Amino acid sequence: MGQDSKIRVLVAKPGLDGHERGAHVVAYGLRDEGFEVIYTGLRQTPEQIVSAAVQEDVDVIGLSILSGAHLTLTKKVMAGLKAKGANDILVTVGGVIPEEDKKTLEEMGVGGVFTSGSKIKDIAAFIRTKIGGNA
Amino acid sequence: MKKNSKKEIKEALKKWEGEVLNPRVKKFNLDKSPTTFYTPISSDSSHFLEKVGFPGQFPYTAGNTPLEFWRAYAEFGAKLNYRSDWGGTGRSGKYGGFGTPADYRDYLLRMQSMGRKGGPNIAFDLVTQCGYDSDSHFAEGEVGRVGVAVDSLRDFEIIYEAYTGDLDIDKVPSNFTINAPAAVFIAMYACLAKKRGIPLDKLTGTPQNDILKEFIARGTYIFPPKQSMRLFRDTCVFCCKHMPELNINSIGGYHIREAGATRVQDLAFSMANGIAYIKAGLEGGLEVDEFAPAFTFNAFGGSMEIYNEIAFQRAARRVWAHILRDRFHAKDPKSMQIRQPITAHIGCSSTTLQRPLNNLARAVVGGMAAGMSGAIPGAFPPFDEPLGLGHSQEATQLQQDASRILLFESKVTDVCDPWAGSYFMESLTDEIEKDALAELEKIEKMGGTVAAIENGYMQKAVARSAYERQKKIEKQEELIVGVNCFISEHEIDVSINRQVEATYDPQLMKTAEERQKENLVRLKRERNGTAVVSSLRSLKVQAEDKDKNLMPAICECVENDATLQEICDVLREVFGEAQPMKI
Repeated sequence: MGQDSKIRVLVAKPGLDGHERGAHVVAYGLRDEGFEVIYTGLRQTPEQIVSAAVQEDVDVIGLSILSGAHLTLTKKVMAGLKAKGANDILVTVGGVIPEEDKKTLEEMGVGGVFTSGSKIKDIAAFIRTKIGGNA
Repeated sequence: MKKNSKKEIKEALKKWEGEVLNPRVKKFNLDKSPTTFYTPISSDSSHFLEKVGFPGQFPYTAGNTPLEFWRAYAEFGAKLNYRSDWGGTGRSGKYGGFGTPADYRDYLLRMQSMGRKGGPNIAFDLVTQCGYDSDSHFAEGEVGRVGVAVDSLRDFEIIYEAYTGDLDIDKVPSNFTINAPAAVFIAMYACLAKKRGIPLDKLTGTPQNDILKEFIARGTYIFPPKQSMRLFRDTCVFCCKHMPELNINSIGGYHIREAGATRVQDLAFSMANGIAYIKAGLEGGLEVDEFAPAFTFNAFGGSMEIYNEIAFQRAARRVWAHILRDRFHAKDPKSMQIRQPITAHIGCSSTTLQRPLNNLARAVVGGMAAGMSGAIPGAFPPFDEPLGLGHSQEATQLQQDASRILLFESKVTDVCDPWAGSYFMESLTDEIEKDALAELEKIEKMGGTVAAIENGYMQKAVARSAYERQKKIEKQEELIVGVNCFISEHEIDVSINRQVEATYDPQLMKTAEERQKENLVRLKRERNGTAVVSSLRSLKVQAEDKDKNLMPAICECVENDATLQEICDVLREVFGEAQPMKI
């Protein structure tokens, strides 16, 4: 990642969950923090998310899931990234994630989990620390 | 004593500001005072009858009635230990649903053995809400999660095995939180009644059937807005003609606010949606008073700012009454009233994951506001709302008790519209009404809700408001206890020990997808394939003619055990699909 290029983030809504507030807030917020943000809109399959991430050459994927399907959907995204050799992309998960599932997600390779009450500036700082770069 | 003139009060106010208020503000080095004081000049009480009126009289600012059913029998019910979350005559029980239809049926039977009496108040899983079957690739991970999975009439019938005899569907109402495929579920309800030999006009309950807010906020849409409104029109006419005791819809401002809308956007967008539904019924050839009394509202949004929320409820009642009377020439008072189960409340988004027991204190504040704006003082939601899916029995118990304490010990509901005539509340009500009407006019100029969804105006406005609020929280312009203030190491995270089992069996939830897929395979093997194909074909033909009411054709598909997705796929082919909105 070159020092002159912005960190690219794909904010994605996998599955059928329609709760968009968190995704909207994070997308706007990270844009204001200087990141290049692409938002997928609702109802993306894990395959669509992986292919968008690869095509858009993003550094980070932020998955937003509030329906309880986070384990199944995240697992599929992680496997898809691996299959495309894109497992260097940092994956974060946000939404309603019970405490006991956080560890499982981390074991899948998820870099960070951000639940209700998280601050945009903390998410931004987390990404910068993990990725480095200009944003 | 001599009467004060307005001029006198105005002068006195000015003097008070200069001599008392401003020196205090200056003393504390503030730019402006954080408190406000209202006087008779803040509101014009000379039009009390037109603007407020008596409870149960136009414009219903002071309430739909001076005495609701629940208030009349509250003390009586208390002495009988009646639990409102169990429902009862004329009421459905607590909202819920999970797993396969058999899982949910067994849960309902268990609740009934504990005393639950009301009809089902069904939460469907997202697969069902989006018009897919449990074996769709979209279904993976979602089956039976946020609600019960229903793929066909057979599944629907399994749930209703818990409702027979004294609890048969001609005796208890049913609520369905279903929107995009609401037509299919209304058809299922009708087919179930037919199979049981129950006349359709005996059916009561409420399908949510509010597709417009799905585009603005909740996200479970299937077809584009215009075609969705055609389906609404068809259900509206069908319910009106055949199921007159069934409510037609439950219009939600709640979801719009939860998605981030401001109070004014919530009111304006909800009213715009209501207008669109009224117009759809009229387009279907109905007279306004034939169907508007069967419209309901699923509360509006909520917040912790209870003064504003009480004013909001008063303004909403007045605005809707005027729209129905002045614009649509309704004569029936029921057409003009906002019929809703709760009024002011805090909204689930006011609850915090941090120090979650504090949510009980928050809910009590909302319950107070509900009690002061014409409803049961419901301390909603239970404190564990932000922790995951399904409220625990303990949190529900605390919520129930808090509401009872408000009702019986604080006596908050012993006065109708206790704020009526308050300079402050009348002024605030006027202000919210004025701002909402201005926003509503903006939407109407665009062509109403459908146009404001198609051009993305409403969705973007809500997303933007959500972000503005987040910025205020991060800058500490809005303070939320335990989230952005009082978070030092000296604070204690108070917890309770779980006493009783989880509401929904986690093991069943985990295996629901596999079991429901097997049910679907069995259904497809056992049903009459020819009848399915022929009824789906007939649906397609009917769908292509926009003047046709699709309900009879959908009923035929449902009766022949066509699946939800098969029916929706036919309509997807004819109507097209709604596209997600990107910001």
